[in-house]
Amino acid sequence: MTAPLEGKAAVGAVTSARPQPPKRPDSGRDHRLGRQYSLIARDRRFGYLLATPTVLVLLAITAYPLIYNVWNSLHHDVINSGLPPTYAGVANYRKIFTDHQFLPALAHTAGFTVVSVTVETVVGLALALALNRKFPGRGFVRAAVFIPWAVPTVVSAQLWKSMFDPQSGWVNYVLTALHLPLAHTTWLAQTWTAWAAILAADAWRNTPFMAIVLLAGLQVIPTDIYEAAKIDGASTWRTFWRLTLPLLRPALMVALIFRTLSSFLIFDVVYAMTSGGPGTSTSVLSYLNWQAFLVYDDYGYGGAISVALVVIALMIAAAYVRVFRSEQVL
Amino acid sequence: MRKLPGNGGRAGPSPRMIVARRRRAAVTAGALVTTAALAAAGCGSSGSGAAGKQVPASAKQTIVFATQGLGAEGTATAAAVKAFEKANPNIKVNILTLSPTSDVAYQQLTQRFTAGSSTPDVITSDVIWPTTFARPGWLANLKKFHPNTGAFFPGQMATGEYKGGIYAIPWFINAEGLYYRTDLVKTPPTTAAQLFRDAIAAMKKDPKLKEGLAFEGNTYEGAVTAFQSMGGQLSLSNLNNIDTPGNVGVLTMMFDAIHKARIAPTAVSTWEESQVQSAWLSGQTPFALNWPYIFALSQGSNPAYPAVKNKTGWVPFPNPVGSPQASLGGDDLVMNAKSTHQAAAWKFIQYLTSDQAQIARAIAAGDPPSVKSAYTAKLYAAAPYFRQEQAVFAVATPRPVTPVYTQISSQLQTMISSVLSGQASPSSALKAAAPTVKQLQATAGP
Repeated sequence: MTAPLEGKAAVGAVTSARPQPPKRPDSGRDHRLGRQYSLIARDRRFGYLLATPTVLVLLAITAYPLIYNVWNSLHHDVINSGLPPTYAGVANYRKIFTDHQFLPALAHTAGFTVVSVTVETVVGLALALALNRKFPGRGFVRAAVFIPWAVPTVVSAQLWKSMFDPQSGWVNYVLTALHLPLAHTTWLAQTWTAWAAILAADAWRNTPFMAIVLLAGLQVIPTDIYEAAKIDGASTWRTFWRLTLPLLRPALMVALIFRTLSSFLIFDVVYAMTSGGPGTSTSVLSYLNWQAFLVYDDYGYGGAISVALVVIALMIAAAYVRVFRSEQVL
Repeated sequence: MRKLPGNGGRAGPSPRMIVARRRRAAVTAGALVTTAALAAAGCGSSGSGAAGKQVPASAKQTIVFATQGLGAEGTATAAAVKAFEKANPNIKVNILTLSPTSDVAYQQLTQRFTAGSSTPDVITSDVIWPTTFARPGWLANLKKFHPNTGAFFPGQMATGEYKGGIYAIPWFINAEGLYYRTDLVKTPPTTAAQLFRDAIAAMKKDPKLKEGLAFEGNTYEGAVTAFQSMGGQLSLSNLNNIDTPGNVGVLTMMFDAIHKARIAPTAVSTWEESQVQSAWLSGQTPFALNWPYIFALSQGSNPAYPAVKNKTGWVPFPNPVGSPQASLGGDDLVMNAKSTHQAAAWKFIQYLTSDQAQIARAIAAGDPPSVKSAYTAKLYAAAPYFRQEQAVFAVATPRPVTPVYTQISSQLQTMISSVLSGQASPSSALKAAAPTVKQLQATAGP
C-alpha cells in the first residue's frame, strides 16, 4: 500500500516539503527573494516535466480505456455489424435492467463474493496464526501452503474440473471409497454442486494469498505486548480478540479489499469450469461482460456492463475504507 | 534526493550547480523525447483502410497462414506448406497457430481483423464464420479468382456465400455421426427407440460398459452440433421460431437419454468432444456421437485402441422426428481483405484444395477431403473407412449461414444446457430462447 503514496509524495514534494514563502512569488518585487522564487518556480516546472512521462503512461493505460469504455457504453457498436457506431444515449444501461441476465448474474456474483471471502478470510487467518508459531520445518510448510497461489487460475480451475469429473475424478472416487453421500454427484451439472466446486477451486487458490498478507501483518506485531498480556493473566482467546485482531486490522483491510474485489470480478474459474452453466446458473458479471464483448461483439453493451462493474467495485472499496476508518476513530 | 536550490542566496552559481543544471537539461531532453515517443506510439496504430498495393504472384514474398491444428493435423499442414514452397520457390508461407478451441480462435481472429491488420493473408475458418467475417468487410471476395465451385460439396460451398460474393473455399469437410461398436450392436439402429433399446441391452450384456451413449453437452459450440446431428431443426427459416414440435422432440430425447433411460451419464452435460473421445476409445460405451477423426483414431495402430479397433461402425444418428441429418462441420479457407499478397494467397488456397494435397491430408490426418474428386481408389486403399463416411457426409446439414451465428449459438448453448441439466423442460427452454433468437436474426439484415 505504500508504493502509490511514495509516488504521490515525489510529485508533491516540490510544493509541500519546503517552508511556505511569505508572499506569492510573482507578487514579490524584492530582488533577492524574486531570484529565489523564480528558482522555485523553475524547480516546480522541472518537477512537472519529470512527472509528465509517468502521468502520460498512467493516462494511456488507465484513463484512456476507461473513457473509451464510457464512450462505448453510450453507443450502439457491434463491431462485426459492418455499421459505424451510433449514439445510443442510455439504452445500453437500460438493457442492464431488462435483459434478464444482468441482475441474476449480479446476485450470483454478490453471493459468491460474500461466501468465498468469508471462507478464505477465516481459513487464511487460521493458517497465518498457525504458520506464525515456531515449529520444526516451518519454512517448508510455509512454502508448501503458498504453492496453490503460484498456480495460474485457469490451470487450477481446469485441474479442479477434472477432479470433479464423476467418472475419472478423485473427488467421487474418495467419496465412494469412504461410503459418503454425494458419491454419485455430477458436480458441474447442478446449480448448487457447481457452485460448491467453483468455491472449492477458488478457495484452494486464494486462501494462501489471504494467509500471506495476514502472516506479514502478524510478523510486525511486537512480541513484548504478548508477554505483558501473559503476565497480566489474559487468556489466549482474550489475547487474540484484544491484541492480535486490532493490531492486524491494517493488514486485514488490505487483504479484504484485494480479495473482495478480485472475488467480485471472478471470471477464469467460472469460464474454465462451468462456462456459466448449467443453463445460466453460475453466470457471473465478468462472464457476462466477456460474453457481451467477445461472443456478441457488442462493444456498447459490453462497455455498459464494464462501467457498472467499475462503479460497483469502487463502491465496495469505498465502503471498506470507511468502515475500517470509522472503527479506528473509536 | 535533490537539494533545494537558492537557500543560501549566493550571488553566482557554484560549479556544482552548473553541473546540476546541465544534468537537468539532459534529463529534460530525455523526458521530452519519452513524451514525444509515447504520443507517437499512441497515434501509430490508427491507420486502416482498404488493402494496399498488391504484390504480384511472381514476386519474392512471404505470406502468413493462420490455422488451428495440433498433432497429426499440424504435421499435415506443415508438410503441405513445404510442398507448396517447393513448387513455388518465390513464395514463403509462415504459419500462425490459432487456438485449438474454436471459440477462442474466433476471438483471436476478430481482434486481428478489428485492428485492421494486413496479416494473416490466408486463414482457416470454421464453416460457421465466413459470413460473420464477410459482413463487416474483413474478407476478400474470391469471386475475382473464378473458383471452381462445382468441385466441392454444395452444402459446404454455401457456407462461404454472402450477398452474391464468395468468401470461402472449403478445405475439409466434417460431419457428426453416431459411432457404434460392431461387436455389441449387430445392425446399426435406424430409430431413436431402437438406439435406446440397443444401448440398454449392450449395457446389460457387457458390465465393462459405463454408459450406453456418449455425446458432448457442455455449454459450448459442440452442444449445438450434437443437437443438430440428433435432428435439431436449425435452418435459416427455423430461426424465426425455433420452438417447433420437432425441436421439442429432439431435446426430449436428449433429456430422456440422461434422466429417464439413463443410457447417457449426467456428466455429458459437462462433456466436450475430448471426453466423448476417451469414453469411446477406452471401450466404455457402445454408442458415441463424434466427428470423423475418431474413425482414423479407432482404426489406427499408433497408438492402438484394442477396445474399438476393427469394431467401429459409423452411421448418421437416427433422428427421432424426421430423416437423419449430420451437423456440417469442417474448415474453410478465407482471405484477409487487407492482404497485399492476394495473388500468392490464392495460389496457396488452390494448392491446398488440389486432389493431391487433399488426399495427402486425408491419409495423414484423417481430414475428409472437401473436393469430391479426391474420393478415389487411392484414398480408399489407404483409408478404407472413408467409404463408410460417405453415408454421413451425404446427409450433412449446415448450421444456419448467418452473420450473427455466434450470438445465436450462444443462446442455443444455454438452452440446451438448461435442458440437459434438468433445470428447464424442453418446451419451456425453447419458449424462453425463441424470441431472443428471432430478435438476433432480425439484426442480421436481409
